[in-house]
Amino acid sequence: MNRTVLLVGVIIAAVLVGVLFMGLGKNPAEIRSPLIGKAAPTFALRQVGTTNTIDISQFRGKPLVVNFWATWCGPCWEEHPVLVANARMLQPNVQFLGVVFQDQEDKILSFLAQRGSGYPTVVDEAGKTAIAYGVGGVPETYFIDADGVIVAKYNGPMNGDIIREHLQKVMRQ
Amino acid sequence: MIASLGRILILASLLAAAAGAILGFAAGRTRSADGLKWARRFAYLYSALIVGAALIMVYALLIHDFSVSYVAQVGSRSVPTWVTVVSLWSSLEGSILFWGMVMGLYIAAATFLTRGRYAEYQPDAIGVWLACAAFFSFLIAGPANPFHTVPNPPLDGPGPNPLLQNHILMAIHPPFLYLGYVGFVIPFGFACAALLKGRLGHNVLKPLRESLMLPWIFQSVAIMLGGWWAYEVLGWGGYWAWDPVENASLLPWLTATAALHSIMVVERRGILKGWTITLIQATFLLVILGTFMTRSGVFNSVHSFTQSAIGPTILGFLAAALLFTIALLAFRIDKLESEGRIEGAGSREAMFLLNNLIFVLLTFTVLIGTVFPLVVEAVKGKQMSVGRPYFDSMTVPLGALLLFLLGVGPALPWGRATKEQIKKALIPPVAGAVVFAALGYVLGVRAPWTLLTLAFGGYAAYVTLAQMFVPMFQRMKSGESLGTALIDGQLRRGRRRFASYIVHAAAVLAIIAIAVSSSNRQQLELHFTKGQTQQAGGYDVTFLGVEQRQEPHRLSTVGVFNVMQGGKQVARLEPNMNQYQMMREPIGTPDVHTTALRDFYISLSNVDARAETASITVFIAPMVVWIWLAVIAMAVGALFGLIPAMRRGVIPSAARDPLPGAAETA
Repeated sequence: MNRTVLLVGVIIAAVLVGVLFMGLGKNPAEIRSPLIGKAAPTFALRQVGTTNTIDISQFRGKPLVVNFWATWCGPCWEEHPVLVANARMLQPNVQFLGVVFQDQEDKILSFLAQRGSGYPTVVDEAGKTAIAYGVGGVPETYFIDADGVIVAKYNGPMNGDIIREHLQKVMRQ
Repeated sequence: MIASLGRILILASLLAAAAGAILGFAAGRTRSADGLKWARRFAYLYSALIVGAALIMVYALLIHDFSVSYVAQVGSRSVPTWVTVVSLWSSLEGSILFWGMVMGLYIAAATFLTRGRYAEYQPDAIGVWLACAAFFSFLIAGPANPFHTVPNPPLDGPGPNPLLQNHILMAIHPPFLYLGYVGFVIPFGFACAALLKGRLGHNVLKPLRESLMLPWIFQSVAIMLGGWWAYEVLGWGGYWAWDPVENASLLPWLTATAALHSIMVVERRGILKGWTITLIQATFLLVILGTFMTRSGVFNSVHSFTQSAIGPTILGFLAAALLFTIALLAFRIDKLESEGRIEGAGSREAMFLLNNLIFVLLTFTVLIGTVFPLVVEAVKGKQMSVGRPYFDSMTVPLGALLLFLLGVGPALPWGRATKEQIKKALIPPVAGAVVFAALGYVLGVRAPWTLLTLAFGGYAAYVTLAQMFVPMFQRMKSGESLGTALIDGQLRRGRRRFASYIVHAAAVLAIIAIAVSSSNRQQLELHFTKGQTQQAGGYDVTFLGVEQRQEPHRLSTVGVFNVMQGGKQVARLEPNMNQYQMMREPIGTPDVHTTALRDFYISLSNVDARAETASITVFIAPMVVWIWLAVIAMAVGALFGLIPAMRRGVIPSAARDPLPGAAETA
C-alpha cells in the first residue's frame, strides 16, 4: 500500500467534499429579505370579483405561497401557468394565494378567465399589503410555513424548480 | 401513460446497470467468459433502456403531453419545434436524463468497439461504467425524476428559459459539453480496470488513449462554443469570465490534456504509468465535481440550476467515487511496474513531465479559485467572489510556460541526448521567436506578457512546422516523390504524428490570439443622438436611429449604427435590448463585425426610443476570430489522428504493431 497516495488523496478529498457539503442549501443569487424568519404581516383583502374577504390567518396549518402580481406585468403572464400547474399538483397540501396590486378589477377577471386560476386571488387596492411585505416589483413570492412565519422570498418569475426548492425549505421548518 | 412508461424504462435501466456492474466485477475476478458475455449484454440493455427513456421524453415534449411533469415545466405550444427538442436539456431533470442518454450511447459504443479484445481489462471496465450508469439511473429514478405524473395537466406550459432561445449556439453548446463530460467515464473505466488488475499493459494504452481523445475533442469544442456564445450574446465584450461553471468545464479538460501527453511517455518508455492513471481518474472525478457545481445551486452562475435533493445526491456519489479511486490507487499504484526511468533533464520525456506538472498546477489554481468563496463563507460567514485578477495573474505565466514547452518539448530527442544534440535542436527555432515578437511589436503589441507569448509562440511554431514537415522532406531527399512523401509519410503512416502537430499548431494560434486580443483591446464609451457621427479607434460610427420590433416572445429595441473606415462603408451594426416576457430586466444583445484582423463590437448600454439617443460600449479587439477557428482546427486535427487509428483498431493484429513514429506526440 502506498501511504503517501492514501494520505494526500484523503486530505484533498476530505477538504473538497467538506467545503462543498457546507455550501449545500445556500442560494448565492438569493437576496435576503428582513422579513425572513419573522411572522408574515397579517391582512384581510377582498377576493377579486366578489365581496368575500379572505384573511391570511385562515390558511394557518399548512404551507402558504403568497404571490404578488399584476396583469400589466409580462413576467407574471409567463409565471401564471407555472403557478396554476403547481397549485393543482400540490393541493391540498399547499395553499397558494395571489395578491394583485395597482391593477383594475375587470382586467384581473378577464386575465383569470382566459388563463385559468387554480387558487384564490385577492386585490390589494391601496397597495398597503405590498408595502407591508416590502414588495419591490412584481412578481414577488413569499413562502410562509404552517405557523405563519415567512421562510423564503423569491423575486421574479418562478419555474417549477424554484417553487419546489422553496417549498422544501418550508417543509423543513 | 407516457410518464409511467418513462419511469418503468428508467427503473429497468437502473436494474440492468446494477446487474451488469456486478457481473462485470465478478467476471473480472473469476475470468469467466460467460460472465463477461452477460455483462456486455447488460451494458447494451442498459443503453437501450436509457436511450429509450430519453426518446420518450422528446416524444412527450413534441406532442405537448403536459401530464408529464417535465413537459409541464419547460414545454410550450408557442415555441418553435427546435426549441421544444432542445428543451430536453434546458432544465435540471431533463438535462440529467440527457446525460444518462449520452452515457448509454458511450457505454454501448465502448463495449461494442472493445468486444473480444482486452479481455483482461474489459470486465472491470464494464463494471465501472455500469456502476456509474447505475448511479445516474438512480438519480433520474429518484431525486431528478422528470416523469412525474401531473394529475390535472395544464393546457400550456411556460417554455424554456429565454436565454436558451436567444442564440443557436445555445442549442449546440450543451450537447458538445455532455459528449465531452460524459465520455470521460470510458477511460476512467479502463484506468480503474488497470489498477484492479495491477497492470497497465501496452495493449490497453490504445483504447485508453482513444477513449480519452474523443471526449477531449468534444470538451475542447464545448468550451470554445460557450465562450463564443458569451461573446456574441452577453455583451460585455469578453468570452471568458472565470465563472465557476466555466471553470468546471475547464478543470477536466486540463487534466485530460495532461493525460493525453503522459500516455505518450507510457507508450514510449513504459514510465509514468501510475501518474497517467491518476490523471485519467482525476479527469472523471472533476467531471462529477463539475456536474455537482452546475446541478447543486451552490455556485452563482449563468449556468446554475436551482437546488434540490439532486445536489446532495451527486455530492454523495462524488465522495464515494473519490474514496473508491483513492483506495484503488493507494493499494495498487505500486504494482504498476515501471519499465525504465527518465534519462536526464534534457530529454523529451522530462519535458512531458514538466508539461504535466504545469497542467496539474493550473488545475489546482483554477480549482482553488473556484471553491475559495465557499471556504470563506463557511469559515467567516461572508459572501465573496474570486475575480479575474487572481485567475489572470496565476494562469497567464503558467500558460506562457506551457507555450514555451510546446516549443522546446518536441524539439528535444527522446532518451539521453548529448549537449551538442540539445544545442542543435534548441537554437534554430529562436529565429521564429524573434520574427513573431518583432512582428507583434511593429503591429503595436507593447504588453510584456504578450510579447513574451509571441516569442514563445514563434519558437513553438517553428518547431511544430519543422516536426510536421521534416519527415516529408527527408523522404523526398531519399528519392520519394512529393506525392508519396505527402500521402504515405504524412497522411497514412505518420498520420497520428502529423495530426498531433496540427493540434499543436492550432494551440499556438489559440494562445497567441487569446493573448493579443485581450492585451490589445480598446474599449470606448460613447453617447449618441440620432444622426450623430463619432470617431472610435479609427472608425467613424454614425447613429442612424432606433427601431422597435415586436416578436412573439420579446420586444426588441434596436439601435442602428453605420460603421465606416477611411470613407468606406464597413458594416451596419444593430445591437439591441430585448425585453422578454419572462424576464424582469431587459437583456442586451451586442452586434459584432468580424474580420480576420479584428472585431468591431457594439454593445448597447442604454437606448431611448422616444428621444432617439443611445449610449454604447465599443470594443475593438484584434484576432478574436482566430480563437474560435484555432479550437476548431485543434478538434479537426485530433479527429484526423483518431480516425485511422479507429479503423486500424478493427484488425487486432495491426493494433499490436505500432507504426514507426506513431507515438511521437499526443
